[in-house]
Amino acid sequence: MFNILISSVGGQGGLTLSRIMAVAAVRQGLSARTGETLGMAQRFGSVLSFVRVGEDVQSPIFGPGEADYIIGLELFETVRATRYLRDTGVVFAADEYKPPVSASLSPKPAWGRENVLRSLRETLGEKLLVVPARDLALRAGSARAINVVMLGVFNAHARLFADDVVYEAIKSVLPGRAGEVSVKAYELGKAFYAERAKSA
Amino acid sequence: MGNEAIARGAWEAGVRVVTGYPGTPSSEVIMTFHEEGRGLPIYVEWAVNERVAFEIAYGAAIGGVRALVTMKAPGLNVASDPVLSAAYSGVEGGLVILVADDPGPHTTQTEQDSRWYAKLSKLPMFTASTPQEAKDTVKRLFRVSEELKLPVIFRTTTRLNHAVGDVVLGEVEERDARPSFKKDPPRFVRAGMKWNLERHAWLNGVLRRVEEVASSLGFNKVEGSGEYCVVTEGVAYNYVYEALRGLGEARVKVLRVDQLYPVPSKFLAENLSSCRRVIVVEELDPYLEAEVKKLAYEERLGAEVMGKEEGLLPLEGELNPSLVKGALYRWLGVPQGQESTPAADVRLPERPPPLCPGCPHAFSYIALKLGIARAGYKLSEVPVFGDIGCYALSVNRPIEAIWTEHSMGASISMAMGLKVAGYDKPVVATIGDSTFFHAGIPSLIEAVHKRVDMLVLILDNRVVAMTGHQSTPSWEVTESGRQARGIDIVEVVKSIGVDEVAVVDPYDFNKMVETVASMIKRPGVKVLVAQHPCRLMEVRQLKTVKKYRVIEDKCTGCRACVNVTGCPALYIEDGKAKIVEDDCTGCGLCARFCPYKAIVEVGGA
Ligand code: SF4
Ligand code: SF4
Repeated sequence: MFNILISSVGGQGGLTLSRIMAVAAVRQGLSARTGETLGMAQRFGSVLSFVRVGEDVQSPIFGPGEADYIIGLELFETVRATRYLRDTGVVFAADEYKPPVSASLSPKPAWGRENVLRSLRETLGEKLLVVPARDLALRAGSARAINVVMLGVFNAHARLFADDVVYEAIKSVLPGRAGEVSVKAYELGKAFYAERAKSA
Repeated sequence: MGNEAIARGAWEAGVRVVTGYPGTPSSEVIMTFHEEGRGLPIYVEWAVNERVAFEIAYGAAIGGVRALVTMKAPGLNVASDPVLSAAYSGVEGGLVILVADDPGPHTTQTEQDSRWYAKLSKLPMFTASTPQEAKDTVKRLFRVSEELKLPVIFRTTTRLNHAVGDVVLGEVEERDARPSFKKDPPRFVRAGMKWNLERHAWLNGVLRRVEEVASSLGFNKVEGSGEYCVVTEGVAYNYVYEALRGLGEARVKVLRVDQLYPVPSKFLAENLSSCRRVIVVEELDPYLEAEVKKLAYEERLGAEVMGKEEGLLPLEGELNPSLVKGALYRWLGVPQGQESTPAADVRLPERPPPLCPGCPHAFSYIALKLGIARAGYKLSEVPVFGDIGCYALSVNRPIEAIWTEHSMGASISMAMGLKVAGYDKPVVATIGDSTFFHAGIPSLIEAVHKRVDMLVLILDNRVVAMTGHQSTPSWEVTESGRQARGIDIVEVVKSIGVDEVAVVDPYDFNKMVETVASMIKRPGVKVLVAQHPCRLMEVRQLKTVKKYRVIEDKCTGCRACVNVTGCPALYIEDGKAKIVEDDCTGCGLCARFCPYKAIVEVGGA
């Protein structure tokens, strides 16, 4: 069984991503559970989506130190989520940077994009893969597709779902043009991972 | 999702009337009907509040059709009055009351444990553990309800409502849906005290049959065997299941209670009789724990019963798999084993949910503060009462507008209370449109009737935004496509006879400030309706959305823009303001406050 944590800022499509993964899991013949909190955290607050995929999944959430994978859609939120990572876990971080309002209000800004990245690199080292997700999503046709770019990167690494299963899942959750853009974004995410693997 | 499964289950059961009031984590049940159920012969609509919603569903159920009413935990407080009477009168068609509790709490003002309502109202209550069971449970509960002729409460918690999992669908029952209603005053008229006594006896008799009906439908189950026994329910069962599976121990018996009220005493007594040690694992209050302890005493079970009262699990907050695992291992006396070490915990600035970019409430509250100041008052001497809705997020930095937030509609009456107690500075109540319709109208009538001096700011964004954009009574067509009569909030306010009404678009910022400044000084009940649609909704309908940008050379990094608006699309980096273009909705609020005119429209001058 795999525990996957998606950390994001409300509105970035973290919930959509967890939904796509759950649908893909079921179509793949696996059982899946996801757990998250909607409502207030819907927009611009921190959102954690728990995704669990495997044979006999019962609980929709898991505890700190239990994530096999973290998919971070925003850098601050990725740092925030690291306490959920298992010591054998891997983190995929989109290079999106959206500092919370509270950071900008403080007169001495201790955080900046570079600092957040450095902190991630220091704590995670080899376990971290930073993805130029925005560029890839824009290439696919929309910055909104960052979430699916990350799915491509994740699945190229974890090989949890067959590609055609992912396509179906994407199209069932995102009908119409958004689905087409997302399929492209997924492919670009995969290609990015393959390139990285080659050069590594 | 659990809520989608519940909707599906109700549909499969042939439900005909579905009502409720939006409230996280319950809202998606009705939203699912609205999205997937178009064209079905089902009345599915939001009601003005939970009490009205319940009464509509109840009216349908006494006519013999199946009805479902949904709400979050505090909604049951609102609906409780008719719910308690309904227990005496009962139903003909199945009536399921879905109540979603919110351990955590993630989005609710209290960690209310609604199981106590079952005891209070004497209505049977059930729960479920997984999305699949949620669907099957709601279906079976219609049968329980009809069998017992009583409304039945289906109590869930956030982790069930919002859990996504695979669900196997079932057949849709064909039912005769024509309502009929036989006149029977002793049953339905609660004015007769003798009748009430008789109906109370009837109710107590029915409650004795609940376990029999429930077990015939397969509720409550037992797994494993041994002298160590876990009693659990709902979502907590999942955590117990996984913890014990990880342990690979065979000496533990798990009793899962689906029937929360009245607790299945035969089932418990039988299965606990061979237990030496019992632990109760449940969300929120030690409700089952007290029931099991009582039973252990009555049945002379001789087992040691432990749970939250012994400190094995916390009394506040939500359970999770690690907490339950830790408690079970300690109780069993087995070593925890080496937990995997989480990566270092870094201190990060918090990200509480803010008002959205371009939110009209941000305009309103900032204008309110400036208006109070312009009228010559200190901000610290004019209490601003808040209410339930998105606008409560104005409590966060930097807007920090509201002083209170309690329950639906309380802003107006609480402000009035302070005033009649002799508070000599102005008081302001702020309330959203949907909240005003829900519970603000009686409070406003009270304030007008008693001639209290106060300013009421109605934040009318035309929608129940917080819970996912549901309709309000002002809509002309509801989500189901039903033609409705839009209720004009300004006409309602006028008809109550307030001393003054003004309607201002908060985007017309200066006018908003002036209106506040002039109204707040005058006597009487003054209502200022700030009308502008929820920006998220509005932007979806606009063809092109303006964007703003920062001219780097002009920006001095003074942070005035962020400090005033707190707009989440704005941030400061390397001593300059930046705007996240994707998130900016082009409202222009920040540009007003930049002393250096460094923020301009993209493409503009
Ligand atoms: S114009 Fe300014 S305040 Fe308005 S949404 Fe854009 S960045 Fe935020
Ligand atoms: S208010 Fe103007 S000058 Fe000050 S930080 Fe914001 S954009 Fe820069």
